[in-house]
Amino acid sequence: MIICSNCKHANMTGAMFCAECGAQLIGRDSLTTQTITTDGLGRGTRRITGELDQAVEGVDAWANLHLLDTGQVLPLSSRNEFTMGRVSEGQPIMPDIDLSPYQAYAAGVSRLHAVIKRIGGQVIFMDLGSANGTYINGKRLASNVEQVLHHGDVIALGKLRLQVLINSQ
Amino acid sequence: MAASKPDHYSILGVFRDATQEEIKRAYFEAAQRLHPDKNVAAGETELFLDIQQAYEVLSNPKRRSQYDATLPPEIEEVNRFIRHEILYSRPSLVRVGEDQLIYVLLEIGPREEQSTELPTPPLNICLVLDRSTSMQGEKMDILKATAIQLLRSLRPQDVLSVVAFSDRAEVIVPASISLDKKRQEASIQMMQPSGGTEIYYGLEAGMREIRRTIDPSRVNHLILLTDGNTYGDEQACLQLAEDAASQNVGITGMGIGNEWNDIFLDALASKTGGTSAYISKPKDIERFLVDKFKTLVNIYADEVLLEYQAQENVRVNYAFRLQPEGGHIEIAMPLRFGPILRDTPLHVMLEIVVGAQTLTGDDVLLLNGNLKASINSQTLPIPPIRLRLTRNVEETPSIEGPPTRILKALSRLTLYRMQERAQTAVNDGQYEAASRHLQNLATHLLSQGENSLAKTALLESENLERMHSWTATGSKDIKYSTRALLLGSGKEKK
Repeated sequence: MIICSNCKHANMTGAMFCAECGAQLIGRDSLTTQTITTDGLGRGTRRITGELDQAVEGVDAWANLHLLDTGQVLPLSSRNEFTMGRVSEGQPIMPDIDLSPYQAYAAGVSRLHAVIKRIGGQVIFMDLGSANGTYINGKRLASNVEQVLHHGDVIALGKLRLQVLINSQ
Repeated sequence: MAASKPDHYSILGVFRDATQEEIKRAYFEAAQRLHPDKNVAAGETELFLDIQQAYEVLSNPKRRSQYDATLPPEIEEVNRFIRHEILYSRPSLVRVGEDQLIYVLLEIGPREEQSTELPTPPLNICLVLDRSTSMQGEKMDILKATAIQLLRSLRPQDVLSVVAFSDRAEVIVPASISLDKKRQEASIQMMQPSGGTEIYYGLEAGMREIRRTIDPSRVNHLILLTDGNTYGDEQACLQLAEDAASQNVGITGMGIGNEWNDIFLDALASKTGGTSAYISKPKDIERFLVDKFKTLVNIYADEVLLEYQAQENVRVNYAFRLQPEGGHIEIAMPLRFGPILRDTPLHVMLEIVVGAQTLTGDDVLLLNGNLKASINSQTLPIPPIRLRLTRNVEETPSIEGPPTRILKALSRLTLYRMQERAQTAVNDGQYEAASRHLQNLATHLLSQGENSLAKTALLESENLERMHSWTATGSKDIKYSTRALLLGSGKEKK
């Protein structure tokens, strides 16, 4: 038996790499420790359609959508109305905000799920007849009925939860 | 083999101590290949008669012993067509009261003088294309363009057939040596995507086309391209792949995008010693197909088999082909290793578990079997290679380190297997374990300088923890990238 010096897994005699952690068990060279971070790698994190690309933590954003599951913030700026959904192949109408990088499919987001818009000083939110429903603070909305959003409200598209942060200036 | 007429044993491609059973089987195989009804090539009828005669003598024990008496004593001659090399991870086993592992790296390649002399084999290839609705758009356009490009690049002796399938199959270009390329191109252009994905119909029609022009001197191969899952007919497909393997037809599966079932396609291809490929972007379709064709033209022997007797307490636990195309080898009887290319020898890594009970003697027989290969440009069967892997049992472990080639190959293979473990863990719903495996994987990827893949693994690991699922492309990205790392890892350093 060979006990892995890295994870204490008991390997069969003759094993050359630990079956559990993959560490080399014989004739090992010293491994150098490296640190890497995964933030800012941006695989899919900034793939937002529309004009959202330029505005990162938009100062001029009238509202920010905070994805509660993954922690990203989507700023809304430069126009007053955004449809939300996920982009899939062969779809005629694209949503302004594509949520597919955030597991939208698994969360049950429809292709055209909801719309968020600014009218005067108010932020209005409306379900567009989605399959899995839209919720404000846990309450399901009727389709195609406008609702007023307040700062700090948590909206959910299917199971995808977002907090609305309204910029009151 | 002397310059004179080869003896009956070499004609059938069996050893002199072959059992009646083995002789019978060798005869049937050879007779199938060379039957006059199938073969029109000049001179092959004579070969068929030779085989008949050889079998008549050898199948009769009395005539066989008479014949044996006339033969000159057998010299264990080197195989004229194929060379092989065996490397072990350790020089000896240790006498301990527990199971132990040993790794064996097999290298099988053409003899130098043969690989350049023989002509390249003609192709008999069927493209089985998914034309379900989801293929619409870019994928279909590129596929059509590539199919036409391949059709134009064929040599006069090659045959390419095209079958399209959705929930039924239709033959777009039948298998024949046809000169009317314009019409074939037009039929390809007219393919319209519609319907679902039922792979079995496609494979069935594809195999039918291949059988029309099947010939052992050709490279007979089916390439399946799909972007979706098949439902309910997996078992039938696997059965069909087994039949294909028995006729020496290889299958390659290519999956486009991320909605196809890689496990199924891998299983399907590995039944025939083939492999699956992952095409993440439609624009890569052309590159993958053209490369595949180049590989097929370059084939020296289209299928290497290892037939072996199962031993008590010793088993082959894992087998993996490191090159020419990395792929998992299904543990079955026989082991199907896949093709040998002219310029790339075959490398196979075997992991063998030796049970504690067998360690009482002085040596252990790890594997006893025959390597068989059929060389496309060679009509007569070639003699198999005896493979007898044994190791001594010593009281103390040897201090000699493993060969660098094995160490290097295993360090890469370990990565691939960690990815496999993560996949299994996800399938069992153990997301924490899966995420831990991926983190370990990332650590080792980093230490081997594969930074971007390490990042992908880390992201997937986080995603698994949070969402309890892979991202759309994650599992395939990691699987096929770690597999690609294995390529050539068993090579000698030059």
